[in-house]
Amino acid sequence: MTTIFGVPSAVLYGQLLLGLINGAFYAMLSLGLAVIFGMMNIVNFAHGAQYMMGAMGAWLLMNYLGIGYWWALILAPLIVGAISIVIEVLLLRRLYKLDHLYGMLLTFGLALMVQGAFSNWFGSSGQPYSIPQALMGGRNLGFMFLPNYRAWVIAASVVICLGTWYVIERTKLGAYLRAATENPMLVQAFGIRVPRMITLTYGAGVGLAALAGVLAAPVYQVSPLMGADLLIVVFAVVVIGGMGSIMGAIVTGFLVGVIEGLTKAFYPEASTTVVFAVMAVVLLIRPAGLFGSKLEAAQGQPQSSLSATAPSTLTQTLIFLALACCLAAAPLVVYPGFMMKAMIFALFACAFNLVAGYGRLVSFGHSMFLGSAGYVCGHAAKIWGLPPEFAILAGTATAAMLGFVTGWLAIRRSGIYFAMVTLAFAQMVYFVALQARFTGGEDGLQAVPRGMLFGLIDLSLPANLYGFVLVIFLGGFFLIMRLVGSPFGRVLKAISDHDARAQSLGFETARYKLVAFVLSAALAGLAGSTKAIVSQLASLTDVHWSMSGEVLLMTFLGGVGTLYGPLVGAFIVVAMQNYLAAFGQWVTVIHGLIFVLCVLAFRRGIVGELIEFWHRLHRTPPAKPAVLHNVAVAPQE
Amino acid sequence: MTDGAVYVLETRGLSRAFGGFFAVNGVNFRLARNSMHAVIGPNGAGKTTLFNLLTKFLPPSAGTILHDGEDVTRLSMPAMAKRSVVRSFQISAVFAGLTVRENIELALLREHGLAWNLLGRIARHRGVLERADALLERFGLSEYAGTMAGSLSYGRKRVLELATTLALEPSVLLLDEPMAGLGHEDIGRVTQLIREAGKGRTVLLVEHNMNVVAELADTITVMVRGEVLAQGSYAEVSSRADVMAAYTGQTHE
Ligand SMILES: Nc1ncnc2c1ncn2[C@@H]1O[C@H](COP(=O)(O)OP(=O)(O)OP(=O)(O)O)[C@@H](O)[C@H]1O
Ligand SMILES: [Mg+2]
Repeated sequence: MTTIFGVPSAVLYGQLLLGLINGAFYAMLSLGLAVIFGMMNIVNFAHGAQYMMGAMGAWLLMNYLGIGYWWALILAPLIVGAISIVIEVLLLRRLYKLDHLYGMLLTFGLALMVQGAFSNWFGSSGQPYSIPQALMGGRNLGFMFLPNYRAWVIAASVVICLGTWYVIERTKLGAYLRAATENPMLVQAFGIRVPRMITLTYGAGVGLAALAGVLAAPVYQVSPLMGADLLIVVFAVVVIGGMGSIMGAIVTGFLVGVIEGLTKAFYPEASTTVVFAVMAVVLLIRPAGLFGSKLEAAQGQPQSSLSATAPSTLTQTLIFLALACCLAAAPLVVYPGFMMKAMIFALFACAFNLVAGYGRLVSFGHSMFLGSAGYVCGHAAKIWGLPPEFAILAGTATAAMLGFVTGWLAIRRSGIYFAMVTLAFAQMVYFVALQARFTGGEDGLQAVPRGMLFGLIDLSLPANLYGFVLVIFLGGFFLIMRLVGSPFGRVLKAISDHDARAQSLGFETARYKLVAFVLSAALAGLAGSTKAIVSQLASLTDVHWSMSGEVLLMTFLGGVGTLYGPLVGAFIVVAMQNYLAAFGQWVTVIHGLIFVLCVLAFRRGIVGELIEFWHRLHRTPPAKPAVLHNVAVAPQE
Repeated sequence: MTDGAVYVLETRGLSRAFGGFFAVNGVNFRLARNSMHAVIGPNGAGKTTLFNLLTKFLPPSAGTILHDGEDVTRLSMPAMAKRSVVRSFQISAVFAGLTVRENIELALLREHGLAWNLLGRIARHRGVLERADALLERFGLSEYAGTMAGSLSYGRKRVLELATTLALEPSVLLLDEPMAGLGHEDIGRVTQLIREAGKGRTVLLVEHNMNVVAELADTITVMVRGEVLAQGSYAEVSSRADVMAAYTGQTHE
């Protein structure tokens, strides 16, 4: 048997082939994302769900209607594309003038809804989909065995990618598309119906994802969540390649697939994380991406900052004291376990809000801080036998350090790219947690001891535990309140309003963002550590991307950029989880629906709308939406 | 700083390309200390790009920039502000989510050592409050102190931007079309404010309104297609045929 650098050549070629196949899907999906983004400035978070719909569509056609692979290859993309066109017309169209993040949130909500619904209907386990008759078998190439279906997937995807590239870069239709991206008014003036063109582009981009899904059905298992993790890798591909170029998306997709394949052959442990490591390196040396010509200029239109004139220090202190009293008295009427859970999540959401609301850096990866802190705290308490205060300190410090490293890399990009980068790093942390020995993998770290706080207070007593959580929450909340009201908080808000102007006044804005990010990470870590002590468990749920989604949900539902919004949102979401637990996966659908409603109907969130209402009653001018001025942002290089 | 340098800002062969297009092309420009200097030129001449280069908003493609005789070509935007070179923007730039007072206070934070104060309260620092009051008064904004800057009228936003910029007491002030979008009365007021601000500091302004330029500027530089076409007093420049030609054909304002 021949070996290459110690790896049997058959294994190497096999992994390379698998890498190419994965790369083919990365390429097709990132291509669709790039086309959609170029045309409508929306990062289509539903892309993974739509890919899944293609695969599920093929499976459904086969199992319920007896329609086979070849027809599915045509029908599934058409059906999924048609559904997406309806969505574009009914929903997405309302968002084009808003910050790109709203498009991302809305499509994220849609993805949750679709994935949740499919999980309910068909269970979340994978279904096999057999290879069509004509493509069974394979051939021996001498150095390796090549299954026919895999050869077909690679050939088909190359043709599809190059075809799309050709249409966009070399045909008249593509020229219109590109022109409309640059200057919609002008193209409109030539008598082309731009809105219709946008709709069709979205349909086509989504159809492409669905087509990839059908191609993937026989290769992978068909399951409702098959697109979710894939999409995160595709986001990393997009960050690596830069969204500017079609060819860039294709090349990067295949390249990343091959790199993954090689890693799997030579150092399998790193194969799931290598993409994110590559992304980190690219951010370091070429923040705009390999094929990106320049960094994004403005991050869309600034949105209404919700900071109405802050209440006086006295009022604020009074509200805080009232809150403290309510929370302290709550166990008399509410189940303490619920209160503790809600307070921990509220602290998490408030920490998230510090960057998302006040710094307008919307992270999609905050689960990494919650989760990693939980693991380290749990490990410190259980294995090292540290008392709870030191275990929590260790967890919090870990989160802060992780925040420093990821933040340092991520703040090189802003807006949607920031969201994608943080999501990708969080996924990397997730994979590390999945594989590392000390996290206990799928089981997590169980039976974390609560211990004696300061050697005096026994946390296994319910009343002590409740007091402990209460103090941590109130302490964290108070700290955030002070931060937001401090000169630093003022600068942070100014930066989120107009970064360039803040720089021209002499503020090194990147440093402020980084400090805010680290503080937010540390506080999220404090929440995660406390969670580990209270629930005596550190598990994968806390590092999973869906946890980042939940904290987004809490914050946006309650009111992003308001002091009490995340608190309200957290209580509502935790209550929903408790009372709707019987509905299983439908909770995910409800979460998704709330996202959609928040984005469409009440962007200020509950507390934000209440503040607005209050101002209207008192005829004080509220925080007017920052008018849609073009932010003059330096097109840095 | 070498205070001996006659020119506060100086560029040598300064260029900036976008793609293959040179928005600023080999500009040698000098800004004399304590002068009131105007840059004029048709739309797209490269005036704003020159500003962006001088304030490090954009990195140059070629050439060097000197401030007080020192090479500052590689510095960052905040670093320029710390050297007391501060600009305003062509499209009014206020912090829309902060009140008028908060906008002004923001500019005062660094000087009072509060920029990195994470837990304190601005309200506790009398020095900042008093200076903010004085600035509000001087710029006629006292009445609007508690208003969100985003909901001010356009003219007021410009005044606020000027107030915020001057709160830094810059030694070099760069103003990009301070009169753009202002009504008659506002123009008179802002002209007056700029004239006052010009006492004891160097001002460079881009302006399309020739009356304002004639009234304020002691030196005028004419830019056309990324290059300096002429430089001199208002009388010298306005009498040149090529300047008139460059202007009449192309201005849209
Ligand atoms: N970030 C950029 N990317 C690409 N081209 C740019 C950029 N900034 C400016 N340009 C181009 O450079 C040229 C000069 O622009 P600039 O804004 O400096 O002109 P200006 O003299 O300030 O014009 P105006 O009087 O309209 O403000 C224009 O053709 C403009 O399109
Ligand atoms: Mg200009």
